[in-house]
Amino acid sequence: MQEFSPSTLLVLVPLLPLAGAILTVLLGRRLGAKAHLPAIAGIAGAAAVAVMLLAATARDVGPAHGAHAEPVRPVEMITTLWNWATFDSAYAPPAGSPAADPRLSPQDLAAGKDVRAFSIPVALRLDPLTATMLTIITCVGLLVAIYSTGYMHDDPGYPRFFALVAMFVFSMSMLVAASNFLLVYVFWEAVGACSYLLIGFWFTKPEAARAAKKAFLVNRIGDFGLAIAVFLLWMTYGTLDFHDTISSDGVIMPGIFGQTRLADAAGYVGGALGTAICLLLLLAACGKSAQLPLHVWLPDAMEGPTPASALIHAATMVTAGIYLITRSAPLFAACPGALTLVSIVGATTALVAALIGTVQNDLKRVLAYSTISQLGYMFASLGTGTLLGFSAAIFHLLTHACFKALLFLGAGSVMHAMGGVIDMRRFGGLRRVMPITAATFLVGAAALAGVAPFAGFFSKDEILAALHAKGWPAAHGDHHAANMAGGPFHLARFTTDSSHTPGVSVGLDALDRPETWQILFWMSLITAGLTAFYTFRAVFMTFTGPTRVPEGAHGHGHSHEAGHAGDTGHGHAGPNGPTGHGHASHAGHGGHIADSYESPWAMTLPLVLLAIPSALIGWLLFSTNWLSHFLSATPSLTAPAVASTATPHVFHMNLAIQGTLAAAIGIVIAAIGHLGRSSDGPQMERFLGPLQTLFANTFYFDQIYSALIVRPLEALALVAALFDRYVVDGAVDAIARIPVALGGIVRRSQSGLMQRYALAGVMGVLGIVVLLAWQLRG
Amino acid sequence: MNTMQSLPLLQNALTVGAILFSLGLVGILTRRNLIVMFLAAEMMLQGISVSLVAWSRYHGDWGGHVLVIFVLTVAACEAAVALVFVLQAFSRTGRLDSAAWQSLREATVGRMIDHELPSIDTLPPRFPTLTPAGILPPADENEPLQRQHV
Repeated sequence: MQEFSPSTLLVLVPLLPLAGAILTVLLGRRLGAKAHLPAIAGIAGAAAVAVMLLAATARDVGPAHGAHAEPVRPVEMITTLWNWATFDSAYAPPAGSPAADPRLSPQDLAAGKDVRAFSIPVALRLDPLTATMLTIITCVGLLVAIYSTGYMHDDPGYPRFFALVAMFVFSMSMLVAASNFLLVYVFWEAVGACSYLLIGFWFTKPEAARAAKKAFLVNRIGDFGLAIAVFLLWMTYGTLDFHDTISSDGVIMPGIFGQTRLADAAGYVGGALGTAICLLLLLAACGKSAQLPLHVWLPDAMEGPTPASALIHAATMVTAGIYLITRSAPLFAACPGALTLVSIVGATTALVAALIGTVQNDLKRVLAYSTISQLGYMFASLGTGTLLGFSAAIFHLLTHACFKALLFLGAGSVMHAMGGVIDMRRFGGLRRVMPITAATFLVGAAALAGVAPFAGFFSKDEILAALHAKGWPAAHGDHHAANMAGGPFHLARFTTDSSHTPGVSVGLDALDRPETWQILFWMSLITAGLTAFYTFRAVFMTFTGPTRVPEGAHGHGHSHEAGHAGDTGHGHAGPNGPTGHGHASHAGHGGHIADSYESPWAMTLPLVLLAIPSALIGWLLFSTNWLSHFLSATPSLTAPAVASTATPHVFHMNLAIQGTLAAAIGIVIAAIGHLGRSSDGPQMERFLGPLQTLFANTFYFDQIYSALIVRPLEALALVAALFDRYVVDGAVDAIARIPVALGGIVRRSQSGLMQRYALAGVMGVLGIVVLLAWQLRG
Repeated sequence: MNTMQSLPLLQNALTVGAILFSLGLVGILTRRNLIVMFLAAEMMLQGISVSLVAWSRYHGDWGGHVLVIFVLTVAACEAAVALVFVLQAFSRTGRLDSAAWQSLREATVGRMIDHELPSIDTLPPRFPTLTPAGILPPADENEPLQRQHV
C-alpha cells in the first residue's frame, strides 16, 4: 500500500480540477472549441485519484465481518497543508465546558490558566465518508463534463462553462475533504458561488439572472445559520478542527470529531446549547439541500444549463447538507429533538415536493421537485440517528447521484433535440426518434421510482427500514429488541447523554416518540408512491404516445446546430434557415418528423455510463453490505451513540413489498392517465380538481414569502431610500446651497460692461488710497 | 542745478501728469469704442510716466528716466497685443462697441445699455477690396452704414 502516498493523492483531488479551471480561464479564448480539454483532464485525473483513494480507504477499513458485534475501528488520515492563521491567547474555555482541560482544577480554570491559541490549519482528511463523496463528485463531474462538450457546443460562453464546472469540482471536493469547520464554511460558500454563476450562466436572460439571485439570497439564510453554528461550536468546544491535534507542548487537543472526544461519553453538549448548534446546522443544510422552508431556490435554478443542473442541483452540491449532518452525527446524537426535527423536515419536504412534482409540465421542473423530494428522503433517514439511517442516507445519496444525474442529462438530451423546448405537453412519443435517450431515461426513472432491481429500490428500502425501526422498535432485530424494547427506554438513553447540562429540558426532545416516527414512515411511503407516479408520468408524456416534436426542433445529422441559447423554451434557438447537410430536415409543427433526433455520442455516452450504475449499484452494494460497513468506519459514525445502534444487515421483505406496492400503484395511475396518450391532454386537471391549483402553484410558497418577507423588506428599503434621498441628500444639498447664496450677492455686479469693471477697480484703488491717507494722517 | 531741483517744476510736471491720468480715466470710464478706450488707457500710463520722470528729475536720480524708457518700450509691445485683441473683437462682432460683449454678463443681471444693437446678421456681407486706383469708382452705398457701426 506504500506504492503511493495517500496524502499526496488526497491533495491531487482538489488540485487537478483547480489547475484545470485556472488553465481554462487563462487559455480559454485561445483554445476555442477545445476549451473543455483542461477541465476534463483535471476532473478525469481527480476521478482516477478519488477511485484509488476509495480503494485504499476500503483496504484500511478491512472486509465486512459477519455481524456487527465488535465496534468498527475508525479510519481517518489527516494531511495538514499549512497553517492559515494563528491567534495567540484567543480562548479560555469556561469551567465545566467540554473544551476545558480536565487536568486543571476549577480554580486554575477560573484564573484563566487554560488560555489557548486559535489556529486554522488547512487540513484535508480522508475517511470513508470523504472517500465516498469524493468518488461521487469527481465521477459524476467527469461524465457531466464529457456530456457538456456536446450540449454546450457552440455556446459563446463555452470556456467559461468548463472553468466554472472545474471550479465547482474543486470547491466541492474541498468541502467534503476539509477537516475544519471554518474550511467547510469557506467551501460551502465557494460551491454556492459556483452554483450562482452557473445558474446565471445565460445572464442576459432575465429569468436566469433572477433565479441566480434568488438561489444566492435563499442560500444566504442557510449560510448565516452555518456561520452562527461555527461560532457556537468554537465557543463550546474551543476548536473548529474535526481531528485531534497535538500542541507544541505535547498536549492532545481534542477535535470536534476526533478520536479523543468520540471516546468520551460526555464529549458532546446536549441540552439547549447543543440543540441550538444542531438546529443551526440543520438550517444550513436546509438552505444548501433545498429543504423546507428554504427549498424555493432549487426549482428556479433549472434556468441554468442542464449539465450544471445535473451536476450541482441534483447530484452533488445539494447533497452538501446531507454530508454536513452525517459529519456532525455525534453532535446530533446528543440532541434527539434536533434529530427528530431533521426527519420531520425531511419527510415533510419529501411529501410536499412530490405533490408539487405531480402537476409540473416542465420536464426539468419535475426532476427538480423530485430532487427536493429525494433529498428530503435522505434527511428523514439521517434524522433517525441510527447507523442504519446514516448509511442509508449516504447510500441513497450515492444511487440518487447516479440516477438523477442520468435523468437530468436525459432531459437535457431531449431539450437539446427539441430546440430548447422542455414543456412535456409540446412533444411526445420520443422513444421512436431518440431510442438511446429513451432507454437510459427509463432506467433512471425506474431507479428513481424504486422499481425492484434498480438502484433506488434498495436505497429507498433501507431508508424505509430505518424509519420503520424507529417507529416500531420491537419489530426490528432479535438481538437489538432487548436494547430497544420501547420508547421510554430509548428516550432515557439520550437523556443520560445530555445529563451534564442539568436543568435544561428541550421541548423538542418530546418529539422523539415512536408515534412521530410512525407518521414519518407513512409519509415516506406515500412519497414513494407519488415519486413513482410523477416519474412515470414524465416518462409516458415524453416518450410514449403519438410522436410529436415542437416547431423549431431539428432532426439529427446536424445536432450541433440545434442550438440551445434559450434553455427553458422561451423561443427556440438555432439558425432558422436551411441547415443543410446530411439528412437533416425541418420539423414543422405537426408536420414532417425526422428519422432521428438522437443526440451526439458525447451526450449519449455519459447517459449509458450512468445507466449502468443506476441499474446495478443498488443490488451490488446492498447484497454485499459493503457501503454500510465501509461508512461505519467513518470517525463521526463511530460515536457510541451512533455505533451502538448498529443492527444486523437484513432484507426486510414486508417493507420491500410495501415500497414496491406504493411504486406500482403510482406507475399504474400514471399509465392510466398518460400511457399511449397524447401528452397535451388535461389528464391531471381532471384528476385532481382544485388540488391541482394548489400543487401547480407550489403551495404558494413564493407568494407567502413574497408577502411575509420580500414585501416588508421592500417597504423598509423604500423607507431607507426616502430617508436617504430627502434627509441625507437634503442635508448635502443644503450645504451646497450656501456658496450659491453667497455668490448671488456678488453675482449682480457682473454686468458684462467693461466700464463697470473699470469703475470698480478705480473705486477699489480710491478706497485703498483713502485708507492709506487716513492711516498716514498722523 | 537749481532749476533741476526746483519745486515749481516738479509741481507743474505733476499737474500735467495728473491731468493726463484723469483725462485717461474719464475716457476709459465713459467711452465705449475699444480703440478710444485703449488710447485712454495709454494716456493714463503716460500721465504716470510724466510723474515718474518729474520725481526723478527732482531727486536728481536717473533711475526714473530709465524706468520710463522701459515702460514706453513695454507699452509699445502692449499696444501691439491690445490692437490684435481689438481687431479680433471687431472681426467677431463687426463693431468696436464694447457693449457688443455685454452678453458675457451674469444671466440674471439685466442689460446696461438700453438700446438694442443691430444684429450682425442684418448687416450686408463685407468683402476685402483693393486700393482704389485709376478712375474713382461709384460710391458704395453700404459704406456709410459700415462706418456708422464702427
